Amino acid sequence: MGTKVYFSSWRGEKIDNRDKLSENWVESTYNFPVQYSASGNATAFVGWEGIALFRDDIDVVRLATEYASQYQKYSEACGRCAPGRWGGRILYDLFDKIARGDGDFSDLTHLKEVSETMMETSKCEIGKTVPVPLLILIKEFEEEFIKLIKNKTKSKDYDNNVNYNALVTAPCTDACPAHVDIPAYIEGVRDFRFDDSLKATRQTMPLAHTCGRVCPHPCETACRRTNIDEPISIMELKRIGADYETDHNLDFIHPVIQKAKNGKKVAVIGGGPAGLTGAYYLALDGIEVDLFEALPVLGGEVAVGVPEYRMPIDKYNQDIELVKSVGVNIYLNSWIDVNKMREFEKKYDAILVATGTRISKKVDCANERPEIQGYWGAIDFLDKINLYEKYGYKLTQEDRIKHNINNEYVDLTGKTIACVGGGFTSMDVVRCSIRAGAKRVIMLYRRDEATIIKNTTYEEYHEAVEEGVEFIFYSAVEKMIDEKDVLKHLHINKFKMQSDSNGGRPKLVKVHGGDFMIDVDYLIPAVSQSADLSLLPPEWNIELTSWKTIKTNGRDYMTSKRGVFAAGDVEYGPMTIVNAVGQAKRASSVISRFVQTGEISLTDNEIMEEHLRKLGVYNKKEKISGWLAGQKRSESEKLSVDERKTNNREVNFGFTAEEAISEAERCMRCYYISMVAR
Amino acid sequence: MKTKKDIKFFINDREVVAKAGETILNVARRENIYIPTMCYLEKVNPIASCRLCLVDVEGSKGSILSCQTKPTENIRVKTDSAHLYKQRQNIMKLYDVNHPLECGVCDKSGACDLQNKNIEFGIDCQDFAVKEPHRKIENWGKIQYDPSLCILCEKCVSTCNQAIGDDAIELKFGGYSSSVFLKNKNSKTLECSTCGECIAVCPVGALISTDFKYSSNIWELNKIIPSICSHCSAGCEINYEVKHSSTLNHESKIYRVTNDFENSSICGAGRFGFNFANNPHESNLKNKKFDEVVNALKKAETIIFNSQITNEEAFILQKLKEKLGLKLVNYEALNLQKFLNAFGRSSGETLPNGKIEDVENADQIIVVGSRIIVENPIVRYAMTKAFKNNRAFITYMHPVYEHLLHNVVRQFIRYEVGTEEGVIALLAEALLGQVLKFDLDVGYVSGETNVGEEELEKIFSIGKKSKKRVLIIGSDLIAHVKRENIARFLGVIQKFSNIRILLVPEESNSLGVAKICQLDEKESGNTVGYNMNGNYIISSLKNIGNFYIPALNQQEGTFINIDQKVKKLNVAVPFNGLSLNDIANKILNDKNKKQNTIEYTKNIFGIDFDSLENMQIESQEIEIDCNEMPHEISKLPTFDGTLVYNSRTFLEFNPFSAISQNVNINETVLIGSEQFATAGKISDGDEVEFEILGEKFRRKFKIDRNMRGVIALNPVFDKSLKSYLLSSIYKFQKVKIVKVAI
Repeated sequence: MGTKVYFSSWRGEKIDNRDKLSENWVESTYNFPVQYSASGNATAFVGWEGIALFRDDIDVVRLATEYASQYQKYSEACGRCAPGRWGGRILYDLFDKIARGDGDFSDLTHLKEVSETMMETSKCEIGKTVPVPLLILIKEFEEEFIKLIKNKTKSKDYDNNVNYNALVTAPCTDACPAHVDIPAYIEGVRDFRFDDSLKATRQTMPLAHTCGRVCPHPCETACRRTNIDEPISIMELKRIGADYETDHNLDFIHPVIQKAKNGKKVAVIGGGPAGLTGAYYLALDGIEVDLFEALPVLGGEVAVGVPEYRMPIDKYNQDIELVKSVGVNIYLNSWIDVNKMREFEKKYDAILVATGTRISKKVDCANERPEIQGYWGAIDFLDKINLYEKYGYKLTQEDRIKHNINNEYVDLTGKTIACVGGGFTSMDVVRCSIRAGAKRVIMLYRRDEATIIKNTTYEEYHEAVEEGVEFIFYSAVEKMIDEKDVLKHLHINKFKMQSDSNGGRPKLVKVHGGDFMIDVDYLIPAVSQSADLSLLPPEWNIELTSWKTIKTNGRDYMTSKRGVFAAGDVEYGPMTIVNAVGQAKRASSVISRFVQTGEISLTDNEIMEEHLRKLGVYNKKEKISGWLAGQKRSESEKLSVDERKTNNREVNFGFTAEEAISEAERCMRCYYISMVAR
Repeated sequence: MKTKKDIKFFINDREVVAKAGETILNVARRENIYIPTMCYLEKVNPIASCRLCLVDVEGSKGSILSCQTKPTENIRVKTDSAHLYKQRQNIMKLYDVNHPLECGVCDKSGACDLQNKNIEFGIDCQDFAVKEPHRKIENWGKIQYDPSLCILCEKCVSTCNQAIGDDAIELKFGGYSSSVFLKNKNSKTLECSTCGECIAVCPVGALISTDFKYSSNIWELNKIIPSICSHCSAGCEINYEVKHSSTLNHESKIYRVTNDFENSSICGAGRFGFNFANNPHESNLKNKKFDEVVNALKKAETIIFNSQITNEEAFILQKLKEKLGLKLVNYEALNLQKFLNAFGRSSGETLPNGKIEDVENADQIIVVGSRIIVENPIVRYAMTKAFKNNRAFITYMHPVYEHLLHNVVRQFIRYEVGTEEGVIALLAEALLGQVLKFDLDVGYVSGETNVGEEELEKIFSIGKKSKKRVLIIGSDLIAHVKRENIARFLGVIQKFSNIRILLVPEESNSLGVAKICQLDEKESGNTVGYNMNGNYIISSLKNIGNFYIPALNQQEGTFINIDQKVKKLNVAVPFNGLSLNDIANKILNDKNKKQNTIEYTKNIFGIDFDSLENMQIESQEIEIDCNEMPHEISKLPTFDGTLVYNSRTFLEFNPFSAISQNVNINETVLIGSEQFATAGKISDGDEVEFEILGEKFRRKFKIDRNMRGVIALNPVFDKSLKSYLLSSIYKFQKVKIVKVAI
């Protein structure tokens, strides 16, 4: 790791190799984007916390001018405070004046003066940070500026063609797999412009209702507000725009005007978050999309996996309607097999596989035989519950016999359920079991409370505890015990954490004599899921990962077979909705260019996104200035335990108007601009 | 709602206390501690664009924005220091970048925030200049926008969105080339209610009134007359700004109307429709005329009048009735009296208990029988605020769909014309169903009214969750033939629930007239019209009638407004003739003669006009044995065919606003839906004719694609005094539309 630089100043680390031979250059510890893309290397990087020059012949004056100009160009999200708006313009004009050989010494004074005002008084971080690298350049390379001013000469690259690529991001946006423009949608809420808020979300995230409710919000862990008090409640602010659109029966608000049909056709296999997202952005781009879904309903795991109380289906259906509204052709009950895939290869310009991971993995215990009554895979269990709760599909006679259910829906009255898991799916299983009337619901988890919270969310875990789920930590099933193929008991091992005396990771060790038995009616394995890849024609030789998911490079999402793409859980393995959305958004962008030009490429913005992800945008040690600490995060009202545990009413009411505004006002709009010279 | 406690902290070493939700700036202002601002506006959420309100907090790194920061316990805030002064100075320097130095011809000069702040921070030259992009002046009808003068404080867009609800303008972000632009990109004109609040709140000369432009320097308008707007029942407080007409003509003239835009908003009719003073030629004011009017009254059997008059005028008319044994006829006010009487017998109180403030604070609002957007714009602004601030669930029940309300209203219910009695019955059932059972065939009524049971269920379920509920009742229900039974339903709603009922009276002073006058059912014999047609006409409408009297901006007097508050009108421009009081003095001829009209104020309210301030008419409890219950609903009427709705437009409420030279009278088009065009076999742009109450209308027809149903909006303000009759009847009228061959 680390980067070889000529000069860099970033986040307090200064590397100065100006008087050294290039073979003796000291490396910076930061991952600057030197290898910009396959097509070439970068010569310099400028960002909100400093600069990095990778060569000794950089035209720093032009570099400063371009950075100031990028701020002008990219400030469409801004222009909303006097210092940023006018200050940014002055910066650019003065740098350009010096660069073209018209500069005066007073210009340098003015630059410093304006920079100081911007840094102290701008509304958002972009205005506050743009002067930072510029001042470094002026300070560290003063003689270059003075030379031009004195000699009234143009800077050496002034008339040359140099590529500069810039990207505006924010710590939260960077941390979001779908790179949602979070500060923009929060600003929309703050300004009571809910339509603008929604439009900002939908630039990269079509499932605003859904991800405003059930996203694990990695963005909140990268929220700069944490540095002074608590992170913004980013996720909950997202649903406000979507709720507004739905509640007022508005026409769907699209982020861009849909392009005219360009004659290209793409097949999307799977109607879950990834498939829906891919279909939406492809259709917006003017591509004819046929979407195939095996189940009788759209939505994938979020529809048939995530319970109603957490993600009301009528809200998810709004997101689905949005996708339909751009003219995606939907084919339900359409199981795609190898023969169909072979047909599709001829019929379509590209195929996006987004079939998810729908096979429940085994617990890996003794006597784990699928034919034992009471052994019920989590995915199928949740399918059956949700297809009834949300769509009214009753259990078939066959299912009722197989799972010993005496009702037309999954009725667990009087039954004891044990679930093995620790992730979101297992939480859904146990909380649904409570709602299905189970007598006793047990979660068996190999690790501790802190880890389960880390793997899910604090809210999720605590709500489950409140509702009466028994969590048995440090436990695993040793053996299923049945009587004539009917599950009766589980033999459980108990573990403890043992720290490694050599300083390694602590290990789980079995507690001797800690074994015990529990009587159960059902064991639901919710350990993990794997992908059903039976649709891939063997002669395509599609490469797989060691996890038995479809392999791509994780950047353009093309499989080893040209024209066939994969996104979502089938590519990554069981992961979050927002991850699926992010992958599918990227894949749709690549596919759209591929079907029109025949080339696999990334846009400069996409390349920059990746570079910044590696460099790291959020700095949790940063001292924040200009904001008063101690402003509490708003908490939305939830249904009380008694009100929620027997039904499927949405648990979270969402913010009241007052809470939403006060939460949105806490957002510090941490936009940053970064630029690469090539 | 969580209870939040007060927060004690210090501003400039003084201990102060912030109440829940208050920001540092709020507290400072309350405590009279000065913090400069350019973008802060009391009536909207903090905008935070100007950055001038920066303050320092001990121990906190960097200056913080006082406008949007809520204080925490015991912080020590400093509002001023050499450092802060310097930062503010620097911000002002940036504001001055390229700001045109055209103060000499700028409408805002002398009352400009940019000028004021430059003076305050001692900025005497423009330190920075940059290349100026081309910026085109936009002409949006009554409003002009000059982007080069705009400082992008966002007051206008926030007001339009948060205080008014039109959401017609927004900011186009683009760094240095940011500007205000029309939200509907396909439109060249403003699609809004033309309230002109954007002009009012603009701190510089970027948004100005095209009418007022170049008509006067602001500092010359030194006569500022506080009064109230006379155009609707809101009775908004306004200022008439007055000076002489021209160098040669020294007669006073109103140049513009302004308002306290920091805290309140007014509508376009009030802001632009002020020029209706009656200044007749001297020859019309001779004593000969005086004898004529006295004789006309003595000969008459009936005085017909309307409710756009002061309480004092109404009182004098009542005196004349008593003295001369005349009939007093005012259909609209009589309907209101009947309505209120029935309401009183069932509720046990004389008046409905809702106020505009209740609308603002409500979390559930139901509007029935009113095109509220023009009947009382202030109620509509309160609805906007309730939605923005409390996310109130608003149900709008009216046969005419209101597109401009779509971003605040959650539920539009278009009921069948004429079925208002059924609608109210269903509402009462939905709102009181658990407390009180009515003998109601819900299936039948729901079918006839076209109000679905699911929609009512929604109103009911929202009602269960809501804490502050308001039911807004429009004049369609008072003009309705079944007004008394409607009133009974409303009476029991007020009696048996916590729902507040806000009645929107038809005219500016309907409540006053209904309180003061004993009205007769029908005119007979010789009639004298008081601002109405009759055999002899006494009128304050410019150049109309046989005898001229002062208009409402030429007299002192009082109104009772929608909030049942007594509001005072003042003389903005003089009237050089005689008033109703002078006529009455001649006729009454007794020792009770009054020198001035406003001496009657004491007779009405028991207090002198000059001492009257914020008087509230309290609702009285009525002694009744039992609350009268609504009667059973018999058959509901049906209206088939082409219907018009006699309605105001955004700028024209009545003949007075219409004759104000600043109001565009060419707007008298019939606006209808596509279905209306099909039903009437007409198309956009056709000339059509139809007749209501014997009055012939000839109008250009225009299709509004946002409208629905076989209904067209028909303005009546251009029908001079007849328009009062047309607007006080039930506004939906069945008409036969005839296309005029050209």
